Amino acid sequence: MDPEDELRDNESTGDGDFCSDDGIADYDYGDADFAESQEIVSPLKQNYTILSEADIRQRQEEDITQICAILSVSRSAACNLLCHYKWNVSKVQDEWFANEENVCKVVGLLHNPVKTSNSRKLNCGICFENYDRSKMSAASCGHYFCNACWKGYITTSINEGPGCLMLRCPDPSCNAAVDWDMIDRLAGFEEKEKYARHLLRSYVEDSKKIKWCPSPGCEFAVDFDINSISYDVCCYCSHSFCWNCIEEVHRPVECGMVAKWIIKNNAESENTNWILVNSKPCPKCKRPIEKNQGCMHMTCRAPCKFEFCWLCLGAWSEHGAKTGGFYSCNGYETARRDGMYDESEKRRKRAKLSLERYTHYYERWATNESSRKKALEDLHIMQTNKLEKLSLRQGLSEAQLKFIIDAWLQIVECRRVLKWTYAYGYYLPEHEDTKRQFFEYLQGEAEFGLERLHQCAEKELQEFLDADTPMKGFDNFRVKLTRLTSVTHNYFENLVQALERGLMDVDSSDPQSSSKSSSPSSPGDMPGKMKSSKATEADDPS
Amino acid sequence: MQASRARLFKEYKEVHKEKAVDPDIQLVCDDSNIYKWTALIKGPSETPYEGGVFQLAFSIPEQYPLLPPQVRFLTKIFHPNVHFKTGEICLDILKNAWSPAWTLQSVCRAIIALMAHPEPDSPLNCDSGNLLRSGDVRGYRSMARMYTRLAAMPKKG
Repeated sequence: MDPEDELRDNESTGDGDFCSDDGIADYDYGDADFAESQEIVSPLKQNYTILSEADIRQRQEEDITQICAILSVSRSAACNLLCHYKWNVSKVQDEWFANEENVCKVVGLLHNPVKTSNSRKLNCGICFENYDRSKMSAASCGHYFCNACWKGYITTSINEGPGCLMLRCPDPSCNAAVDWDMIDRLAGFEEKEKYARHLLRSYVEDSKKIKWCPSPGCEFAVDFDINSISYDVCCYCSHSFCWNCIEEVHRPVECGMVAKWIIKNNAESENTNWILVNSKPCPKCKRPIEKNQGCMHMTCRAPCKFEFCWLCLGAWSEHGAKTGGFYSCNGYETARRDGMYDESEKRRKRAKLSLERYTHYYERWATNESSRKKALEDLHIMQTNKLEKLSLRQGLSEAQLKFIIDAWLQIVECRRVLKWTYAYGYYLPEHEDTKRQFFEYLQGEAEFGLERLHQCAEKELQEFLDADTPMKGFDNFRVKLTRLTSVTHNYFENLVQALERGLMDVDSSDPQSSSKSSSPSSPGDMPGKMKSSKATEADDPS
Repeated sequence: MQASRARLFKEYKEVHKEKAVDPDIQLVCDDSNIYKWTALIKGPSETPYEGGVFQLAFSIPEQYPLLPPQVRFLTKIFHPNVHFKTGEICLDILKNAWSPAWTLQSVCRAIIALMAHPEPDSPLNCDSGNLLRSGDVRGYRSMARMYTRLAAMPKKG
């Protein structure tokens, strides 16, 4: 279908006013159909389990016990096997029963110790001293080292990090694993604790489906079902994050874009851009120079000391009457007219524009983040202090006042979504005018709706907090805030979904767009909700 | 600390015993500091380093032998795994594959083996690594040979 056909299609829907359509348009909650959207869109099913340290320990314990029982090996050996196969119980079994001998060799569980002389005294291969055999130890390989050297060897390894879980016999040619039993016998108390810690962490960090909650100081981990639809998880510590990329929850923006945005925010590249916009390189030594005052006669810093004209970057010694006097460099004017500086000048301009564009989105992104934090604080104050007060004043139980908490939770969530829409906007291709217009419209509506909810949850609530006696308006207030919460929730959920679909609803139906959008979106697949937006564009008498 | 001293002392005695056994390696301990050693190693035969004598500097940590010694070339050498300016050596047994059962003597042997079998895929000297990786063995050999002549062989006349 070519764009013109679509155009006709859109016209035939006849409904030019986006706001009066269903779905998102329901946000216009002042009128009668307000009540229709009261039903809260059900949140996605939870497909993850939060694990405490005790849970992890228990699971780990169960896995070890299981391997012990099935393979009839010692607990230490089971541990070595599981560490090697990244705590994948079925993989350990498969490998073991496919080729037990090979697994033992790879993991370092040896059955035939090397022959050592039968003399009572042996030479330790680390300190080269002779010791009584009773003061020496060996792994399953039978390479004896004195207990003091073993202790040093184990301690060093444990302090170096989780590599100690795969510790091998000190003999460079030997592959025998140093197991838990040996650690237990030879390491100091502190090291044993650390070893246990590494073991616990490896259970989470080596596993493909468990990750630690990234919130600082949080000790929970999240076991995630790879098949679920959304990566968003919420830890018991109340931190919400994307299980896939470990950044905070960022719907509707996808992980890749978040990573790009974060790099951009931290990057030196913006500094480089600034230098490009505001400075020129010295024509001789190429150091960037910022001209912040003074005349066009520039003198580069020592040791270069090159004197040049800021406008044409030519040597100052060549300036004089023939260039139209020192202070007006005709060379520059003429050359610019001839198009000589166009390339670099254009580049500077482009860089400046792009920096301004980035700043625009970044500022709004950051503002929404601080608003979110503020809302989170307000929510906290509400929970710890104000709710109790209100419950006394209005003679209602705190459970009955839960709608206020819900409203505040919604505000926090909305701020988060709104924040990420600015990253989304930044990466929205500039030439896609229709999408951009539609996006900005949706964003504007979202901001407006959120403000209304915020206003109600903050200002209007304050009246009831200030009142000494129960006020009869409270019931109305409850209805209003509950409805606002649910409407805002729905609006944002729809917004998120629309953005996640890449605003396909307005794709390639853009009559003005100069570049043909190539994404193959068929209007027939669109859910009815947002279709009317095309009509908005189509109505444009251009 | 005492352990490292005792162990180095043992190695010192061993070196003097073993001197005749390995003619390619000559390990010398600093007169006043048992944690500083130097070694002279012979470039392995059938390599561009043949005929050269290379000096190595050992700096030994107090936790030795639990931690590896730091070794670098004092003689300039053109080799993919040796830093051209600092002489730093990229060798697994000097880093994560260290075992306390290694000795200064065995480290020298490992370095001689590295001279004969460079690892161009993890180069410290990229020019040298690139020559080998692009298959220009002749180019690599001539460069290495030239630096061996310039830096590791006694001047004639």
